[in-house]
Amino acid sequence: MQHSILWLFLILAGASIIVFTYVYLSSKKANQSDQGMNQPLKKRFWFLLILFVILGIFASVTIPKSPYYLFADETPARVLHVAAMQYAFILSNDAINPESPQGETDLVLPLNELIEFRVTSLDVNHGFAIYDANNQLIAQTQAMPGYVNRLRWKFTSPGKYNILCLEFCGMDHQGMRSSFTVK
Amino acid sequence: MESLKTRKITSVWIVIVLALFIVAIILGILMRLNQGTIIQQSPVTFYGNMTTHGLTMIGIWFVAGMAAVNYLMERYVKTSYGVNLFALICTIIGVLMLWSSTFIGHFHAGWTFLYPLPFKVAWAQWATPVFLSSLVVLGVGWLVWSVSLMSQILKKYTLSQAFAWQHFKKNPAVETPPFILITMVTLVGVIACLLAAVLLLVLLFAEYFSNGSFVNDAAAKNLTYFFGHTIANEMLYLGLAVIYELFAEVSGRPKWKTTWYVAVAWNLSLAFILTAFFHHLYMDFVQPEGLQIVGQLASYLASLPAAGVTVFSILVAVYRTKINWSLTNLLFFIGVAGWVIGGLGAVIDATISNNFVLHNTLWVPAHFHTYNAMGNVLFSLGFFHWFAHKFDVGFYIDKNAMLKLTLILFGGIGFLLAFYIGGADSIPRRYSNYPPEFTMAAPLATVAAVFATFYLLAILLFFLNITKNV
Amino acid sequence: MYKNNVFYFLVIVIIGWNTSVYSQQDNIAWKEESHVYTKVLDAPLKGYGLGDSTSLLQLAHQNPTILALIFTRCTGICNPFLLQLSEKLEWEIEHKNFNIVVISFDPRDTEADMSALAKRFHLDQEKQWIFGVTDSIESLNKSIDFNPIRDETRQQYDHEALLVGINSDGYITKKLIGMRSTSDLALLVGSIYNSFTPTHQLPNKNRLFSCFNYDPKTGKNTPGLGLLFIALPAILTIFILFTSNYLGKSERIG
Ligand code: HEM
Ligand SMILES: [Cu+2]
Repeated sequence: MQHSILWLFLILAGASIIVFTYVYLSSKKANQSDQGMNQPLKKRFWFLLILFVILGIFASVTIPKSPYYLFADETPARVLHVAAMQYAFILSNDAINPESPQGETDLVLPLNELIEFRVTSLDVNHGFAIYDANNQLIAQTQAMPGYVNRLRWKFTSPGKYNILCLEFCGMDHQGMRSSFTVK
Repeated sequence: MESLKTRKITSVWIVIVLALFIVAIILGILMRLNQGTIIQQSPVTFYGNMTTHGLTMIGIWFVAGMAAVNYLMERYVKTSYGVNLFALICTIIGVLMLWSSTFIGHFHAGWTFLYPLPFKVAWAQWATPVFLSSLVVLGVGWLVWSVSLMSQILKKYTLSQAFAWQHFKKNPAVETPPFILITMVTLVGVIACLLAAVLLLVLLFAEYFSNGSFVNDAAAKNLTYFFGHTIANEMLYLGLAVIYELFAEVSGRPKWKTTWYVAVAWNLSLAFILTAFFHHLYMDFVQPEGLQIVGQLASYLASLPAAGVTVFSILVAVYRTKINWSLTNLLFFIGVAGWVIGGLGAVIDATISNNFVLHNTLWVPAHFHTYNAMGNVLFSLGFFHWFAHKFDVGFYIDKNAMLKLTLILFGGIGFLLAFYIGGADSIPRRYSNYPPEFTMAAPLATVAAVFATFYLLAILLFFLNITKNV
Repeated sequence: MYKNNVFYFLVIVIIGWNTSVYSQQDNIAWKEESHVYTKVLDAPLKGYGLGDSTSLLQLAHQNPTILALIFTRCTGICNPFLLQLSEKLEWEIEHKNFNIVVISFDPRDTEADMSALAKRFHLDQEKQWIFGVTDSIESLNKSIDFNPIRDETRQQYDHEALLVGINSDGYITKKLIGMRSTSDLALLVGSIYNSFTPTHQLPNKNRLFSCFNYDPKTGKNTPGLGLLFIALPAILTIFILFTSNYLGKSERIG
């Protein structure tokens, strides 16, 4: 996913550079009598229209894929409670008591089944980001104190998954992590 | 025309901005070096530098735009020298307070100081109130400045003229210069986001002094990004106002006029800019879905007037047209290209389903550094250069213009590519040290630091050249 | 009027009014999260309004169910709890046909006690309301993580006001502890119909500045006081804009 995004960006950026360079060179070569662009208003109109249509298509394709609608009409097979705190994640099969937060280690989650992560924070804002075995970010939500965010996901390949914090939360933000296995 | 006093104070602004820019870039390079494990800083130092770098950069490029707009506005209306000076003093005091809270007090909650992090004190006790007060000082100074400029415009133009509404119809009786229109639209946005900051600070101070906890996290986050996103965007628009005013002039071309589509575009962009900030909260499922979609649509729509009117106008102005190219309009032209490319990265990230895997990775600093370091900074440098040399007698040739441009482009592009590649590799942003599984992260950071040094060299040359002349 | 309210509001904030009201509910808020998506015990039921069902799951299979736990001799929260429940659920009940099953967790309570209770609340004619007892209350409590503590001297229970949402597959979809707002109850009702909301707020956080509340009628989040705060900068900006326009007017010529 991310790599196709990068390619898309590089192609668009490259195209922009070519356009700007071309326009610049056309000015360098121009002489006093050159008239500039023919019918700029008409071209402007077409340019805007095309841009509008492209963005419209983009929006209508991508919005339904937003995480808020992921697996919305299925019932989770498994619930994992997550409490983020400076500077650790607590993962547990049972609800987590903030007075004495206790989690489980060596968690194993089932393959191809719907998991619901119920994510909250016990102190400041944190991020809850799931990285696959190739260290690609595959899903995330924020952990906000006082709220429970429900992230639903189906793991389609087995392996070790890491969890990192993706919202700056203080001096050991970079060290805040956890993991689980999918089998 | 502008008085000698305005000229002087503008020179002071320019020197301060460039000096602070150099310091802030050095902090940026130090951050990249630390991430590249070339140097070893404690996380506290790193995050302190990150906070200083972020807020200093936002601050200086905002005031750079404001100072330029203030200077050029003298062509149309009188501006208040006293207020300009007041803003300058507030900025200096504010920056000194900010730096003491981060460098001495080790405050390091990030430039967005997201509630409730500033209250989880992991630094000197006094640093939180000093940091928040520094924002109050900056905010008040800038608010007064913006309101003053706006009210000066309204002393000459009516409200509808200032927004160029009469241009919606054919053959308007009164013409609104594009510079006035854009400045007006931008100032409204600036005032709104500064008020958001003030409101947020009031809430934070109330909580700080009452030792309570009544601020709702979701409301605070909305206000934070309303302020942070909007100011970062509006300062770019200040730069665009300068381009609308100066590009034709330095190119030896007839001055740009407000047309109906320019008027419509800028009025529309005000609405989009004020609602686009919702895209910072996509991963906060707390936010109602309706607002998330508004965020995506507003972010998309904001690009239409920008691309269809401003960018297209620049291209039309240059295409097959003989122009007196100088460092000033070259910087403007390249800056617009940088702005477009950063905008592409932004639109990609403002797509909710992409944001799901890009949010708070290095993709974020990648795109905003593109339209800042390669966009807005070049707009302002273009203005600085023009300002420094417009009083030169005789024909002026900038000997190392090409050298400076090459350094900026070479250094900038390399520095930015490292961010983009890092983002596509899912490397998190705001990490003082990278977890070992990201094998590319440290090498990329080191390479970025090297490239950024070239960029720094260009800025040093600008500094020497411009300060000699102002 | 509206502007005035905003002003008072600000004044209140500035003097540092601390509205947090800490009740005993605060430290148990997290318990709402326990046992979600586990199956509830299929407790055999006896009581009023059951029809031909004889157990909790049979009821749930017919219609999604909200379970409320009380005891008739309660001198504390049970009565106000039931009262507000019947009031706040009125709209939902008219539009959806889920069950509300009120079960006593006190072994002393009989079917007769429960039907008297139903009459007292004028709910005996409402066919969505079911009042009953079960002989496996201990196991039922366990399956929903509910722990009333008996106080022998007062002959009372120390317990929280608990609502449990059960979907038609018999799974717990959501729990609510304490007297709750209409919007929270609407979320509970939504959950038993398996409608997914990606977030919810825990009851211990102060909601004064909450941006949004869930509106049962539209099924959407509606603006709360916090949203006003987000809109305030824009409102003030417009105010400043018009004021400077007004002041500028005198200086414009022609
Ligand atoms: C060549 C010059 C620059 C260098 C080397 C540089 C470097 C950096 C680095 C390393 C970071 C931290 C990235 C991370 O999250 O890991 C950063 C963040 C940031 N930079 Fe720059 N930067 C430069 C120019 C600019 C400019 C021109 C701006 C203008 C607005 C800017 C604004 C920011 C902001 C707002 C942040 C975010 C700070 C935060 O996350 O709290 N930078 N920069
Ligand atoms: Cu964290």
